[in-house]
Amino acid sequence: MPPGRTPLIRRPPLARRPARAATGARALHALAHAVLALGAVFMILPMLWMLSTSFKPPPEIPLWPPHLLPQAPTLANYTGIFEAAPFGRFFLNSAGLSLAATVSVVVTSLLAGAVFGKYRFPGRSALFMLIISTAIVPFESYMIPLYIQLIPIGWINTYQGIALPFLIMSFGIFLVRQHVASAIPSELLEAARVDGATEWWILARVIAPLSGTALAAVGIFGFIQMWGAFLWPLLVANTQLLFNMEVGLTAFQFRFSSDYGKLMAGSVISVIPMLIIFLILRRRIIESVALTGLKG
Amino acid sequence: MPAQSMAAPRGRVSVWPARRRRHTLLFCYLALAPVLALFAYIRAFPIAWSVILSFHRWDLIGASKPFVGFANYVRLAGDGNFWLAVKNTTIYSLATVIASTLLALPLAVFLSGKTRLAALYQTIYFLPVITPMVPMAIAWKWIYDYNYGILNYALSLARLPSVAWLTDEKVALWALIIMSVWKVLGYNLILFLVGIRNIPDVYLEAASLDGATPWQRFRRVTFPLLRPIVLYVLVTATINSYNVFTQVYVMTLGSQAAPGHAVRVLVFDIYQNAFQYFHMGYASAEAVILTLIVLGFTLVQFGLVRGEEA
Amino acid sequence: MRTVRKGGPRIERRTFLKLAAGAGVAAAGGVGLAPARPAAGATTLAVWTGFPELVPFYKAVADAYGKTHAGVTVTVFSSSLREIEQKLSTAVPTGTGPDIYDIGTNISIKFIEGGLLDPNPPDVERTLTSGAWHASVVDFFGIGGKHYGLPLMEGSHASMFYNKAMFREAGIAKPPSTFPELTAAARKLVRFDASGKMTRSGISMRLSGQGSGIGEKFRFVLEPAGGSLVVRTPSGKWHNGYDNDAGRAALQFYVDAVQKDKIDDPKVPHDADAFAAGNTAMLFREAWVIGEIQQKNPKLEYGVAPIPRWKAGGPYKMLVQPWGIYVNGKSGNKRAAWEFLTFLTNRENAVRLTTMTGWVSERQDVDWKPLLKDIPQFAVFVSPPKDVVFYVEPIFSVFDEVESKLADRLVPAYVDPSLNNAPDKVAQRIREMAAETDEILKGAGLYGMT
Repeated sequence: MPPGRTPLIRRPPLARRPARAATGARALHALAHAVLALGAVFMILPMLWMLSTSFKPPPEIPLWPPHLLPQAPTLANYTGIFEAAPFGRFFLNSAGLSLAATVSVVVTSLLAGAVFGKYRFPGRSALFMLIISTAIVPFESYMIPLYIQLIPIGWINTYQGIALPFLIMSFGIFLVRQHVASAIPSELLEAARVDGATEWWILARVIAPLSGTALAAVGIFGFIQMWGAFLWPLLVANTQLLFNMEVGLTAFQFRFSSDYGKLMAGSVISVIPMLIIFLILRRRIIESVALTGLKG
Repeated sequence: MPAQSMAAPRGRVSVWPARRRRHTLLFCYLALAPVLALFAYIRAFPIAWSVILSFHRWDLIGASKPFVGFANYVRLAGDGNFWLAVKNTTIYSLATVIASTLLALPLAVFLSGKTRLAALYQTIYFLPVITPMVPMAIAWKWIYDYNYGILNYALSLARLPSVAWLTDEKVALWALIIMSVWKVLGYNLILFLVGIRNIPDVYLEAASLDGATPWQRFRRVTFPLLRPIVLYVLVTATINSYNVFTQVYVMTLGSQAAPGHAVRVLVFDIYQNAFQYFHMGYASAEAVILTLIVLGFTLVQFGLVRGEEA
Repeated sequence: MRTVRKGGPRIERRTFLKLAAGAGVAAAGGVGLAPARPAAGATTLAVWTGFPELVPFYKAVADAYGKTHAGVTVTVFSSSLREIEQKLSTAVPTGTGPDIYDIGTNISIKFIEGGLLDPNPPDVERTLTSGAWHASVVDFFGIGGKHYGLPLMEGSHASMFYNKAMFREAGIAKPPSTFPELTAAARKLVRFDASGKMTRSGISMRLSGQGSGIGEKFRFVLEPAGGSLVVRTPSGKWHNGYDNDAGRAALQFYVDAVQKDKIDDPKVPHDADAFAAGNTAMLFREAWVIGEIQQKNPKLEYGVAPIPRWKAGGPYKMLVQPWGIYVNGKSGNKRAAWEFLTFLTNRENAVRLTTMTGWVSERQDVDWKPLLKDIPQFAVFVSPPKDVVFYVEPIFSVFDEVESKLADRLVPAYVDPSLNNAPDKVAQRIREMAAETDEILKGAGLYGMT
């Protein structure tokens, strides 16, 4: 399989089918259409509902039967959210932290994935197994030791302290390694070596460019992971100025308040940035994620 | 320079002169060094500490951490909450993995035939995957609301009685499962889709020229070639579902929330033991057991893959 | 042939990017975006609270304090109570905590035992024992002959909210004063729709969710019935106090309420929101609900009465849960912190606390008349009836665990059909719950029968 993009758009279906199979195929077609459409509605309805509720004034929320479209749409929930907490600041924090984490995850996955994928050295399998197996351990179980480790270096209540656990991703290393091992022919590396290239040059000029899609997938997952973090930042941040959006949301789910209008507005604000990024980079994202399965 | 003046034998690194080998080895260790350093600091050391902690007693606040040997593990064996968590997590994992795989497969087959709306469908199905969990869990809480949620509204349209999705202990875990399937379906779908796309058309053409029905084509051609992907999906989905936490955390907050025992999953139990009851050593022991369970599952599934490839 | 190598700028670029990103993040954390450092000579006091509704109060007090103490800045950090408890428990022992925090005794007792809280300095002691607070409240903050912290507010005094309009409509003249009257009234007040679904509960009890709150609300029924969750022995040990008639009666009350009399249902909306919105006729809760009602439904016609007695002639019981505010033993600004706290808990700010947040100060020298003229519903909270018997929040480290694990068992029990009309099954269930309570106590080395 050549490295690179795999087209997901199918070529036109075959001509020439027996007539009986054609009507069967048409019925199947109709069924497929119906099922897909129904599924799509199920997928998107929760988000639409979230959006719709966020624009409803309080009296409209506990309405029965519920209306998808608000009858008296209002921005009050959004202004209320921004008044209750500096969500703009939270957004900037989320963005900054996620970008830093993405860069770090991509770089570390490339370095480790390339080395594990194409090179032999003593301790390779053991190290690789170690890195992969720690991915299974739930983060919640070693959060406290990690927190305590941060104290002597003074990283409590700092951005770097919040980002730290999200700077590498075992799954990313695994992904890049699989891709490098199977999709990059060793001949390319040998050829470069024959020409006198250093391994660093090979890494930068041969492996990295050919791993574009795998690295893109890794970057996306790294971004999502940092964006969605909420327990760790709450533990490390001693001031709301450092909160990211997820922490902001959970912290403002006031104990007794089920003010769903505002809660939904907060949720929308947390989700929209990811949605926008996704819609812009849609093709890239889906295709690179798709490749994760092929090499798995 | 020796590397260039020599004739260029294509082959293994070991044939290269020692200087080249040293350069390569040095490169390996240097390239790995920052990654390993980070890994050691943020994964290896804390995890090791946590495992050591599992043999001690510590309440986080006090300074005393007496060594208690296997006492925590023994207590776990007799802890009803722990076994309940094991049971709930296993049900949750099996149901989520099976449902999200079984639903994604036919959807992928259907989607592989469509040309026009393919891109749109891919986008819509993948959307839930990239949305952050906390806000979506909150949104689903509202959807599941007994009195005003749209799910019960849909049921009422079909003249079915309302279901107390979150507060009924028999249903709460299934409400969680449905939400999780919603979240991961798109990812499995895309993986299967690519797998199907990559089946060379010649196989399917040959099959239909032989008179095979669509179902036979699927069973004889498509599915066998998809096996590696299916197994990959099963492994990763099992690991992820065993570590479920965020949705449970969100859905158990508040007064209309799910009852704790009905959705008690392992990571939530660990979290509660560590952060609410301050039994740090005990929680660490529970985490060790969880890791071993998941490791066991993973090894079994890997064994299956190896068996397939043989 | 030698080829000219065009170096490896790519990898360097990437590494540089990463370093730059890391440096940028570090710089941002250290300089521009981090919280500003105070000017030289000034003190900053960091306050953490688990009640976000207290934040405006703290800020208002800080403003007033700043007028006479120019060099002192106060920052307030809040999150929900559970999360603040976790943060404090992690941060305080490791020296990364705040200067001041308000927290419940389940946590403060651990800090005291761990040497993380200092006994009050002499001037604070004088304030505490000056008569501003009742002796029982002062005792509450005493351990081993010393006192720790100051009382910020009363965390409970939970009483019965009742909807006057609904009572009038149902023809009930007075709020119930005994539990049988309560059940009778609730049966008249509950409403169902055409399909048999409950649309208004007669009384809103805590039937679902998880956490110690459920256990706490169970005590609102258990105590009047004559039991308590845990009992202290003369030697200072504890054991369960509800494997008895009182415990069985309390559980029976809940089971009957949900299954036999049908005056409440886990599916109906609950709690303060529900009361403010008119989804329930009665509610056992604390004073902060008054603030919620003012915000969400100021026109609501409601009253507050003491939680009923079990039967006529029996005692009214009321939970006393003084909520303290403390200076971190590891703080670098202890003197400034104590001075601020002494100001925060004075008489003037006590009124400010109640008017701003609905929480009631523990001070007994406050003139509540102006407040009561405006909001008479505060009456039961600020001056409970003379014949009320107070029961206190037990102070030991695993009490939260006792309440939480009991909650995990109570929730399924309330709706368990096998407990309906089955007193022996109820008795067995209570026995199992009490056994678990004793197990937890044994695990903490606190169990004893003498």
